[in-house]
Amino acid sequence: MANKIEMMRNIGISAHIDSGKTTLTERILFYCQKIHAIHEVRGKDGVGATMDSMELERERGITIASAATNVSWKDTEINIIDTPGHVDFTIEVERALRVLDGAVLVLCSVGGVQSQSITVDRQLKRYGVPRVAFINKCDRTGANPYKVCQQLRDKLGLNAVMMQIPIGLEEKLEGVIDLVAMQAIYFDGDDGEILRIEEIPASLLDEAEGKREIMLDALSMFSDDLMETVMEGDDVPQNMINEAVRTGTLSQEFVGVYVGSAYKNKGIQTLLDAVLKYLPAPPDIQNKALDLDNDEAEVILESDNSKAPVALAFKLEDGQYGQLTYIRVYQGTIKKGCDLLNVRTDKKFKVGRLVRMHSKSMEDITEAPAGDIVALFGIDCASGDTFCSPDKSLSMTSMYVPAPVISLSIEPKDKTASDKMAKALNRFTKEDPTFRTYVDPESNQTIIQGMGELHLEVYIERMKREYKAEVDTGAPQVAYRETIASSNNFNYTHKKQTGGSGQYARVAGTMEPLEEGDYEFVNKIKGGSIPSEYIPSCDKGFQMSMKKGSLIGFPIVGVKMSISDGQYHAVDSSDQAFQTAAQGAFRESYKKCKPSILEPIMKVVVEGPTEFQGNIFGSINQRRGMIIASNEEGTYSSVEAEVPLSEMFGYSTDLRSMSQGKAEFTMEFAKYGKVPKSVEDDLVKKYNDEKAKK
Amino acid sequence: MVKKEIIERSPLRKLEEATHGGVGKGKLGVIASRRGIGKTACLVHIATDKLMRGKHVIHVSYSSRVDHIITWYEDIFKEISKKRNLEDAMEVHDELIKNRVIMNFNQKGFSVDHVIESVKAMMKNGQMDTDAVIVDGFDFTQATKEDVKAFSFFAKDSDIEIWFSDSYTDKETYTDKNGMPKNLTDVIDQIEVVLTLQNKDGKMILKLVKDHDKVVSEDLSIKLDEKSLLLSEA
Repeated sequence: MANKIEMMRNIGISAHIDSGKTTLTERILFYCQKIHAIHEVRGKDGVGATMDSMELERERGITIASAATNVSWKDTEINIIDTPGHVDFTIEVERALRVLDGAVLVLCSVGGVQSQSITVDRQLKRYGVPRVAFINKCDRTGANPYKVCQQLRDKLGLNAVMMQIPIGLEEKLEGVIDLVAMQAIYFDGDDGEILRIEEIPASLLDEAEGKREIMLDALSMFSDDLMETVMEGDDVPQNMINEAVRTGTLSQEFVGVYVGSAYKNKGIQTLLDAVLKYLPAPPDIQNKALDLDNDEAEVILESDNSKAPVALAFKLEDGQYGQLTYIRVYQGTIKKGCDLLNVRTDKKFKVGRLVRMHSKSMEDITEAPAGDIVALFGIDCASGDTFCSPDKSLSMTSMYVPAPVISLSIEPKDKTASDKMAKALNRFTKEDPTFRTYVDPESNQTIIQGMGELHLEVYIERMKREYKAEVDTGAPQVAYRETIASSNNFNYTHKKQTGGSGQYARVAGTMEPLEEGDYEFVNKIKGGSIPSEYIPSCDKGFQMSMKKGSLIGFPIVGVKMSISDGQYHAVDSSDQAFQTAAQGAFRESYKKCKPSILEPIMKVVVEGPTEFQGNIFGSINQRRGMIIASNEEGTYSSVEAEVPLSEMFGYSTDLRSMSQGKAEFTMEFAKYGKVPKSVEDDLVKKYNDEKAKK
Repeated sequence: MVKKEIIERSPLRKLEEATHGGVGKGKLGVIASRRGIGKTACLVHIATDKLMRGKHVIHVSYSSRVDHIITWYEDIFKEISKKRNLEDAMEVHDELIKNRVIMNFNQKGFSVDHVIESVKAMMKNGQMDTDAVIVDGFDFTQATKEDVKAFSFFAKDSDIEIWFSDSYTDKETYTDKNGMPKNLTDVIDQIEVVLTLQNKDGKMILKLVKDHDKVVSEDLSIKLDEKSLLLSEA
């Protein structure tokens, strides 16, 4: 293999669901001769695309886990991370993006820029990932790559410029015209593997020249030489164009747009060429770590094989041979048999088997150079952990992890399922930080939490398939919060002085709403009315009360507790007494501070044909949703709304039936909002009824 | 200051005075001016004033991006609440946006009938209490008499007030000898109130040119502040 780091690309393929991302990946593997036959995602041959390694993914025709695979194209090693498209799994997408140096943004030539593309693009922007765009499915009826390119400019605000134009469209798609070399490229052979280069057809020459001019105009921003050459009316040499495209792409100020059809085997090889030419190699991107020995000072990592190794575990997978940990090496070389430190757990381990992955097959290697993406066997860790050489303590910056908004109780169907379930949960929580689990001390039930209904459903299915753990599930439960709207002064005495050792504590102060943050404790005691050793006890008592509100038993947020006075007893006061007093004060005060319930509000985007617009409006309205905006484009309409999560259960089914399956929606957490009075009353009543039953 | 005072002190009360109670339900109003001098700001201010009074507004636009329009509303609201030192600004804000919907038509070529159908669908399935519709970016040069009549019928039928903007390039003289914007000449009988926004000694002044059944030429002492893009008394 080529070991030169400049000859390496780590790329992701990001896209809206169903825009053909998995098919594209499949074709890339084929042309790079990693696989010997082409299978479709929803294959009739029953084999399924190679990247969709999980059975479940095959069945649903979607990609859930981001398997990493290595291919080589024209002597360059390309590691491809196949990222999941559904918004419910965005933590996987975000984790994958972290280790990428570049991305291919795949769009459907008919559907164009859809809500999911916007989410994915925002994530690419957040992690500063340079990208090229590929407009797929140009063979479909209604294909319009020019419109999609314009949408990239309008909707995503990208400086998207066509680098190719299609020869023919829809069923007449024959090939592409390369606007840099000004030549027509056709894809011959049974699987489009033979490239035939021809002159541009006369009928398309004017258009190609026009688009080339637009391209050169956009590129002149990135190269003075190019601008001068264009101004002087000279021919612009290809390498000058290539350099300008690369500069623009790396600075994320330019996005080259490529066209084709993965399904019809057109435009894939030229896209791979673009990846090589324009997307960055590992040294082109600056990565930083935090030095834990030096007050978390930022350290710039260098893609230098001789430096001390630093790697990030970005994905765990439970295979038939045990736990696989995908890592990205940022600095130094990781060798088989070398010692590494897991910075989070502060434990040393020895690198056993080191492999390069191709979905389900793997290749044993002895070392992984800086910039590479490989997998380790049998390492006990969680995803997001940093590994570095034992004499250092460097940590890659923590990744953004949103809080879960939905929970579900699960119960194993029998005793054997119980052990397997525990094993599965242990694995899932390590793999996915947005998936959490705990045992409710009151009901003794196992609760799982996540980012949406589908998110949890997929894990329940995986439990069944991969771990053979059958579970019964309860109704999904929204993660409500309680908060207060006004302030109150409290003065509470806890006294128990009858027989045995007594308890005595008095606390006084103010409870008030906190604008930002969940909780704040302020100590305003002067003159020692509460001895300083008992101040933490008060804080602790308040915090314990915050865990469960008295309205519906959910955690309380947005409260500031200040204590300004109190009293103690030389003998009867204790840590416990002050904790109890603080809890009493909180309980009494809370009722007087206009407590209310907050619920997670989701940002929902529904897209579908305009004829169903009325139904969509109605469906949102019925669900206590607030329509922010609607946008019509041609015959397509998208509706943006804010809807409480508690009202979104079963929406996908309803939406499907009201739109003949033609509308789809995405949702993500937006904020916590106040529950209307009538709903609040219902929730409180339900809570009290349940409490009375116990 | 509380919301009520902001409403009472709004410069738009002056406009209502001058037009004998405003455009009125079931009727059409137009603001005409050269491109890029503040028609959208005026319309958004008019809409915000209605929202403040608890009315429901649908904002129709023909822009490429919806978030630009939302930003207009956010900016205008921020300026108003800052200028008047509004109490509980966040709560008032949340109340307002509940009653506002933006409907964007992303490209030219949507027929007037289609736009009206979509707005009706929105009113039927959610914004049942809509009081006013703002149509920003409607191209009067492409509109037929029938188009304007369709809007007029829609306004009467649904008992709503509709405001339009009417835009001109920098070069052309856009008013006729009566001061009437020229795109409106053929359809003027369908429109109740026409305002123009004109640069007068460096100030953007609103001028009333049609007041229900009268053609007038009356400088309203309302100007558009260049910095805050708020209407204020001149």
